[in-house]
Amino acid sequence: MSAAGKGTLLVAWVAVLAALGWMIERNLVVGTDLRLFMPSPRTAQERLVLEEIGEGPASRMLLLAIHGADAQAAAGTSQALVAALRGSSEFRWVANGAGDLDAIPDRLLSYRYLLSPTLDEARFDATFLQAQLEERLHDLTSPAAGFLEQWLPRDPTFELPRLLESWQPGRQPQLLFDVWFDRAGGQALLVAETRAAGFDPQGQRDAANALRRAFEAVRTDPGLRLEASGPGAFSVLMQGRTQREAQRLGTVATIGMVLLLLVAYRSVPVLVLGLLPLASAGLAGLAAVSAVFGTVHGITLAFGFTLIGVAQDYPMHLFSHQHRGLDPRDNVRALWPTLATGVASTCVAYLAFLFSGVRGLAQLSVFTVAGLAVAGLTTRFLLPWLVPARGRDAAGSALLGRLWDRVAGLPRPLWLGAALGLLCVGVLWLSPRPLWEDDLGGLTPVPRALIERDSALRRELGAPDVRHLLVIQDRDAQRVLAKTAGIGPQLDALVAAGALAGFDHAARYLPTIERQERRRAALPDPPELRASLEAAMRATPFRPGVFAPFLDDVERARHLPALGPGDLAGTPLEARVGGLLLERDGHWTGLVTLTGLRDPAALERLAATVDGATLLDLKQASQDLVAHQRTRILWCLAGSAVLLVLVVGFALRDGARVRRVLAPMALTTLLVLGLLHAAGVSLNLFHLIALVLAAGLGLDYALFFERAADDPAEQRRTLHAVLVCTLSTLMVFALLALSSLPVLRAIGVTVAAGVVGNFVLALLLTRPPGRKP
Amino acid sequence: MRYSALVAAPLVASGELEHREDGALVRRVTSPYRETTILRGENVVLEREGSRPRSFSLDRAPELRGMLASFGALLTGDRTMLDRYFSTTTRGNDAGWRIELRPVDAALLKRLALVQVDGAQDRARCFTLTEPDGDASVMALGVADRAALPASLAREALDRWCNGETER
Repeated sequence: MSAAGKGTLLVAWVAVLAALGWMIERNLVVGTDLRLFMPSPRTAQERLVLEEIGEGPASRMLLLAIHGADAQAAAGTSQALVAALRGSSEFRWVANGAGDLDAIPDRLLSYRYLLSPTLDEARFDATFLQAQLEERLHDLTSPAAGFLEQWLPRDPTFELPRLLESWQPGRQPQLLFDVWFDRAGGQALLVAETRAAGFDPQGQRDAANALRRAFEAVRTDPGLRLEASGPGAFSVLMQGRTQREAQRLGTVATIGMVLLLLVAYRSVPVLVLGLLPLASAGLAGLAAVSAVFGTVHGITLAFGFTLIGVAQDYPMHLFSHQHRGLDPRDNVRALWPTLATGVASTCVAYLAFLFSGVRGLAQLSVFTVAGLAVAGLTTRFLLPWLVPARGRDAAGSALLGRLWDRVAGLPRPLWLGAALGLLCVGVLWLSPRPLWEDDLGGLTPVPRALIERDSALRRELGAPDVRHLLVIQDRDAQRVLAKTAGIGPQLDALVAAGALAGFDHAARYLPTIERQERRRAALPDPPELRASLEAAMRATPFRPGVFAPFLDDVERARHLPALGPGDLAGTPLEARVGGLLLERDGHWTGLVTLTGLRDPAALERLAATVDGATLLDLKQASQDLVAHQRTRILWCLAGSAVLLVLVVGFALRDGARVRRVLAPMALTTLLVLGLLHAAGVSLNLFHLIALVLAAGLGLDYALFFERAADDPAEQRRTLHAVLVCTLSTLMVFALLALSSLPVLRAIGVTVAAGVVGNFVLALLLTRPPGRKP
Repeated sequence: MRYSALVAAPLVASGELEHREDGALVRRVTSPYRETTILRGENVVLEREGSRPRSFSLDRAPELRGMLASFGALLTGDRTMLDRYFSTTTRGNDAGWRIELRPVDAALLKRLALVQVDGAQDRARCFTLTEPDGDASVMALGVADRAALPASLAREALDRWCNGETER
C-alpha cells in the first residue's frame, strides 16, 4: 500500500473511532446501582432482601454530628441546617429533635384528636378535662408559661405536644438548646434520610455534596465541623478512595508500559499503532453494552477495560514477529490461526458470565467479548497495512537466543507438574478453612475508626440497625398498618425485657383508618363537650369562654375523614410514613426498624406469630445470595472450560498438542488457587474474574510457544513477543497488588501470580518432550 | 403570683430559689403542688410530680433570659451587666425603693415589657415581670407563708404592698 493509502486508512480508522466515541459519549448512561452486581432474585424473599439492602430506611439514613465550637453555635447551626435542607431534592427529611409546633401545617392541627392515642383510653368528660385544666394552671405558673400560654385556648389537653413527643424516637438523646446533643454535650446530633437508595453511589454523592454546601452556607462559627456517617457516606468515601487509588496506579502503569514498549520496539509509530486495536476494543465493547443493555455500570467500565487489556497483546505478537523482508500481511496471515484460537477461546471463557444471572457480569461479558473480537479482527485485517515492513528482527537478539537455549536445557520433570497440581487440589480439598468469602463488605473495608465512630453515633441517637429489619407485607395499606400496630405492645415488651432498645414503624405516625374513626366517634358533640368543659372549669380560675377555639377544633375533628397514606403529602408525616410504608407491585410493605437489637431470636419468634411478617437479617441474606450466585457462576465457568477445550481441540486437532497448550494454564490456575488459600486469602468473585483473565493470557502464551516449536528464529521472536506481553501485564497487575484496598489487591495478586506462572509453565511445558532445539 | 388574661384570679405558688454551686439556678415549687425547674446555662429542665421531665432552651423563653440576667446582675451588683440588657430608672428612698428595668433589645422587648424590683433598705421584696400583653408574674421574696401577703392579691393591691405599703 502506498504511503498515501496508509495515511488514508489511518485517518479513516481514527475517524471511525472518534465518531463511535462521540456517539457513545452522547448516548451512554453510566449506572451506579451496586445491586446490578448482585444476583437477580429468584424468590419473593430474595427480592425483598435486595429491595431492603438498597432501599430500606436504615441504608438511606445518615447520622450527622456538628462540633468544633461551643454548644450554642452548634445548636444554632443544627437548626439552620434542618431549615436549609427542608424540601431539598436530596433528602426526604432531616431531624434534630426540635419538636417545632409551628412546623405542623394548619390542615393537620385538627387531626390531632384522630392521631393521638389519648382517646383510646380517656373520654373528654368533666373529670378528665378538670385534671387537664389543673395541669395547665401549673404550666401557666411555670417558667415555660411564656410560650405555652398561646396554645392553651386551642389545645387545653395538650394533644399536640403529646403527639409531637410520641413521634420522637423512643430513646432520645438529650436536648440542649432544643436540639439533640450527645451525652457529653459537645456535639449537636441530627439524622437525615436521603432520597437516593443506599446502593446508589451517585445519588449518595449528590446528597453528600448538598449536605456539605448547606452546612457551609449556614455555619454560624468557622470552627464548626460536620461529620456524616452511615452506609451511604461510607459508600461515597470508599468509592472515591478506590477510584483515586486505581487512577494513581493506572497512571504509573501507563508510563511504565510506554517505556517498556519503547525499549522493546524502539519505535514511536509502533507504540502508537499498538494502541489502535485496544482503543477499538474499548469503544466497540462500550457500544455493544450500550446497545444491548441501554446503560453501562461504572464497575463494568472499570473492570472491562482491565479485562480487555489482553487486547494489547495482539499487536505485540505481530510486531515481535515483524522483520525486514517480511510483508506484515504475510506475517499476520501466518500468525492468525494461533491468534484466532486465542481470541476465540478467551471469548468463550468470558461468555460464561453472560449466563451468570448477574446483570453487571452479563454486561461485563458482552463488553469483553465484543472488545476482544474487534481487537483480534482489527489486528488481523487493518493493522498489517499500517505496520512498517522494516523493523528490528527480534530473532537477531543474541540475548534472547541464549535465554531460549538456557530454558530449553532445563530439566523438565513432568511428574513434578502433576505432583504440584495434585498437591494444590489436596490443599484446597482438605483445608478446614472456608475457601470463599461471602461478605462483599470485606472488599472495600471502611476504616475501623469510622466504624467505631458510627456505632457510637448510632448509640447516642438510637438510630436503627443496618442489619436487621422486620418486614410486614399484605395486600393493602390498612391491613399492614393494623398488623404493625398489633405487634406494638409485644415490641414494647421486648424493649422492656432488653431484647432491643427501640423500634419505629408507620403505625406510630399514622393509625389505621378504623382506629382513627373509633377515636373520632369518641369525641363528644358540642353541647356535651361544652357542658363537661363548664363543669371542669368551675373548679378553676380560668375565665369563661377562653376555650372557644378548643370547642371549634373538636367539632371540626368530628367531621374529618380519616387520614390514609395518600393524604399526607406536604406534611412532616409524609417522609416518615413514606419510608416505612411502601407500595410495591400491587402489595404493601410495612417496615419496622429496630434499634440496638440484642436478641434476634426473640424478634424471629414474634415475626412467626404474624401472617406476612419476616425478620430480615440483611447481612446473612446477602451472604446467602452471594453464595448462590457463586455456585451458578462456577457452573457457568465449568461449562465454558469445556467449550474452551473444544475450541482449542478444534483448532489444533491433535490430542498431544491440546494437552501441551492447556497444561500450563490449568496447572497455573490450580497453583494460584492453592497459593492464595495457603496464604490465608478467602476467595471472592473478583478473584474468579482475575483467574479467568490470567487463564486467557496463559492460553495465548502457550499457543504461541507451541506454534514456534521447531524454528530457532521463530522461537526467539515468540519469546520476545511473550516476554513483552508478560512484562507489561505483570507490571500493571503487580502495581494493583500493592494497593491498600482488598478489591484491587485481590485482582492484582491473582493476575500477577497467574501471569508469572503461565509464562514460566508455558515456556517449560509446551515444547514436545524429548526434542532438542 | 401569675397574672394571666386566661384566668380571673392570680395563680399562686410558693417555694424556694436556690443558687447551686455548679451555677444552676433551681426554682422549687413546694405548694400547692411540687415542681422543680433547673436553669443551667442555656437549658431549662422542668420536672413536675407525675409527668415526664420537659426540657427547653432559653431561646424559646426570652423573658426568662431577661429575668435571669436582671436577677443575677442585681444579686451580684453587676452594673455593666444590667446596662447591657436594660435601661434603668430608680426612685424612692431607704424605707421603700423601686428599680424599673426596661429591656433595650427589641426582640426581648416583644416578650418582656418591664422588670420591676421593689425593696426596702438593703432587701428586695418583690420581683415583677410584666409582659407586653399585660400578663405578669410577681415573685415575693422572703415570704414564709400566705399570711404575710396582703389579703387581696389583685394586681394593684399587690403592687402597693410591694412598694412598701403595709396594710392593717
